[in-house]
Amino acid sequence: MIRKRILPLLAVSVMTIAAAALLSACGSLGKGQGKPADVTEQKATDTDSAALQAVHFVHRLDDYRPKKDHYNFYFTYKTVHPWWDAVALGMEDAQRQYLENGITVTYEYMAPPAASAEDQTARLLQAKEAGYDVIGVDVADEAIISPLLDELSDSGCKVMTFSSSDASEGCKRIAYVGNTHNYEDGALLTEALCKKLDYKGKIAILVGSKGAPCHEDRAKGAMDTIATYPDMEIVAVEYDMDSVDIAYDLTAKILADHPDLDGLVCCNMSNPVGAAKAVTEKGSNAVIVGMDHDREALHYLKDGVIYCLGVQDCYSIGFNTLQVAVMIADGNLPGELYPEKTDETTTIIYQKDASTMLEMLYGDIS
Amino acid sequence: MTKKNISNRTFVITAAIGSALITVILILNTLWASRQTIKATDEAVSAVSSFYLNAMANRRARTITNLINNNFDQMEKAVDVIRDEEIETQEELRSSIGMIKSLLSLSRFALVDEDNVVYTQYTTYTGGSRHEFLAEGELNGRTISTVYLYGSSKQLCLAIPADFKAMGKSIKACFVQIDIRDIVNLLAFDDDQESTNFGLYSKNGGNLSGTELGPAVSDKNIFDITKGSVPEKDWLRFVDDFARERAGSLNFTVGDTKETLCYEPVQNTGWELVVLIRDSVIRDQIHSISEQNLSITKYQLTFTLIVTAVFASILLLEARIIARKKLEAEQENSRNLRSMATTDSLTGVGNKHAFSEAELELNPKIMAHEIDKLAIVVCDINGLKHVNDTLGHAAGDQLIRDASDLISRFFVHGSVYRIGGDEFTVLLQGEGYDTMQTVIDRFNRTAEENIRKDAVVVSIGYAVLDPSDEQLHDLLKRADQMMYERKRALKQMGAKTRD
Repeated sequence: MIRKRILPLLAVSVMTIAAAALLSACGSLGKGQGKPADVTEQKATDTDSAALQAVHFVHRLDDYRPKKDHYNFYFTYKTVHPWWDAVALGMEDAQRQYLENGITVTYEYMAPPAASAEDQTARLLQAKEAGYDVIGVDVADEAIISPLLDELSDSGCKVMTFSSSDASEGCKRIAYVGNTHNYEDGALLTEALCKKLDYKGKIAILVGSKGAPCHEDRAKGAMDTIATYPDMEIVAVEYDMDSVDIAYDLTAKILADHPDLDGLVCCNMSNPVGAAKAVTEKGSNAVIVGMDHDREALHYLKDGVIYCLGVQDCYSIGFNTLQVAVMIADGNLPGELYPEKTDETTTIIYQKDASTMLEMLYGDIS
Repeated sequence: MTKKNISNRTFVITAAIGSALITVILILNTLWASRQTIKATDEAVSAVSSFYLNAMANRRARTITNLINNNFDQMEKAVDVIRDEEIETQEELRSSIGMIKSLLSLSRFALVDEDNVVYTQYTTYTGGSRHEFLAEGELNGRTISTVYLYGSSKQLCLAIPADFKAMGKSIKACFVQIDIRDIVNLLAFDDDQESTNFGLYSKNGGNLSGTELGPAVSDKNIFDITKGSVPEKDWLRFVDDFARERAGSLNFTVGDTKETLCYEPVQNTGWELVVLIRDSVIRDQIHSISEQNLSITKYQLTFTLIVTAVFASILLLEARIIARKKLEAEQENSRNLRSMATTDSLTGVGNKHAFSEAELELNPKIMAHEIDKLAIVVCDINGLKHVNDTLGHAAGDQLIRDASDLISRFFVHGSVYRIGGDEFTVLLQGEGYDTMQTVIDRFNRTAEENIRKDAVVVSIGYAVLDPSDEQLHDLLKRADQMMYERKRALKQMGAKTRD
């Protein structure tokens, strides 16, 4: 009987939280320039509901009425990876909702097996000739890709950036939907590590792809944070090129070179998995902080090998990317309808949140 | 051994106590039988529910297997159709996929090329990291996997190898994804949803279907919920059954509630279909039936008691009536016997015994001079011997009856007794005494007339109570004297006599 009374209340509470989060997400879409994640606010999410707040699955299309009944887009991202599969699910949700409203949205969502600016360049040049309504790009290397985006824009293509990496400042792309606070995310994770280590010790930093803005920004945020504490020292900075195996090898090497390593800052999705694997095998006590929601990483978090993870709301990124793409295709520029940069949230989750997150994202599979 | 008379009261008390005892025994027996039935039913519930659940789990697991096989068959047909279309552009491919989805009622239908690029009706994407069956490299035959859609629903993915060209690319596989919630809706065909729950579970006990397996398990991991609620050995067997895709059952208790669940592997999926029923549901239903039966029995018992009481009352009433009639008959019989003892059987008037009783009753009063009006008339039939001798005793008896009638007719207010063969006496008191002389005169005249008519002639003499009389016999003697005189007188008139 008590359970029967509590369950509806719990359900209402969860729905209320979800609704509030949805309103918050929708609100951010229409407020113009995105803001970096609020570090204080994110620390406040260090509660039991942090996992529930990290990703928002309930989205509805906004009130914008598309001008056409069919759109065809092309999206390309850095590399084939589960992180972007989550973005794809958000896109598909939006596509289904448009279809329910009588609007057909077709698109390609393509990436190479390994991050490559050259591959991305080739794909974009091919897309340029195909007459897509909008071309969306998760920038593999801002130095190489940004000029190409300008070229596409100059040729009449409508170009936007999305997910983890924007183009360089001044690029002619129309808008960006994704994480706008990678530097702050890096700083936030590192701050949590420093506090855990009582602001002293040797730290190694693992980065993803060289030139990938999101990874580089996080690494810079980490370095700047560590630099503020005199008793902390960075002993290594390595790039795994978004490969778990490389991350493992690099960590093993770092541990061999610095057996007294106190902590590891991991700036992408593959870093923490490889690092945790190596730390476990080598019997190290190094504290790991990292990014994203890889299933293995969540299990390491659950087991206490990883201290905390910064989880980005990939689902919302995908959903909002498609909405903004439709608006751009209709000729709308950033302003009232959508901001030039649509900010998406990052939430720090800890060991106590791991089970909930595993259940939410992976159906509690072991 | 002394025999005691059984009174009506004793009979009634015995009957009442007997009835009460029978009633109490009947009630206790009924209650005992009801409780025994409920107890026996409780014991049967577990066995029944296990049997019931096994059948239900097996049926539902087979339904899913059929669904899977049907989808595989449809996919193979779909591949054949698309292969024959010789598709050149992405638009044509999307159009064909849409047509196949619509025709074969497939939900998510997609093709995969040699580079792991996935083609659906609306999207084209690189799916190497998204689909489990693509991670395994080459696809050998029908492949079943479970897809956990990031944060939302879970789906069943069915894939088959393909080998044809489209848009110049080699298509190596096709697959469909079916939302597990749709499978659950398909399974929810029984009308017993309120009392049974079912769910689909992964090998690690995770809930795939999103259905609540009763309030105790809800949609949580079934291993987590049952751990600690059953002996460790049973729990480990339960976990092992899931890992090895075996069927089985488990009883566990949460709070005061005993739960029974049965599980059946769904072929080739790695899933276990679990059906749960709360023993209390069956027990409550059977209890409800038992209560209804008990209630009916109570009504029947009450009705029986009322009918018994009514019949008992009727029987008692009838017994009283019979007893009363019997008493009245006995009284009548007694009266008859008494009457027979004091009545002359030939004439119906009092006999000598009756006269003696009357004499015994009167003598003390005569002695005490308590009676002032008393007379006695002595009567003697003339010629009885002659009739007997000449006409037979039947004629003689008739003569006696005629004489008795004559006497009784005249001495209406007197008591008539036959005290001898041809002798009668009449006791006169009250009005009989007051009218005595007139009646005697008329009687004598009649006697004289009867001489001429050759009818019965009776000689009478009488005597009235004299103060010197001490007993009735004194009057009788004087009356006898007068009667003999009268007899002689009548003889002279022609009446027949003994001589």
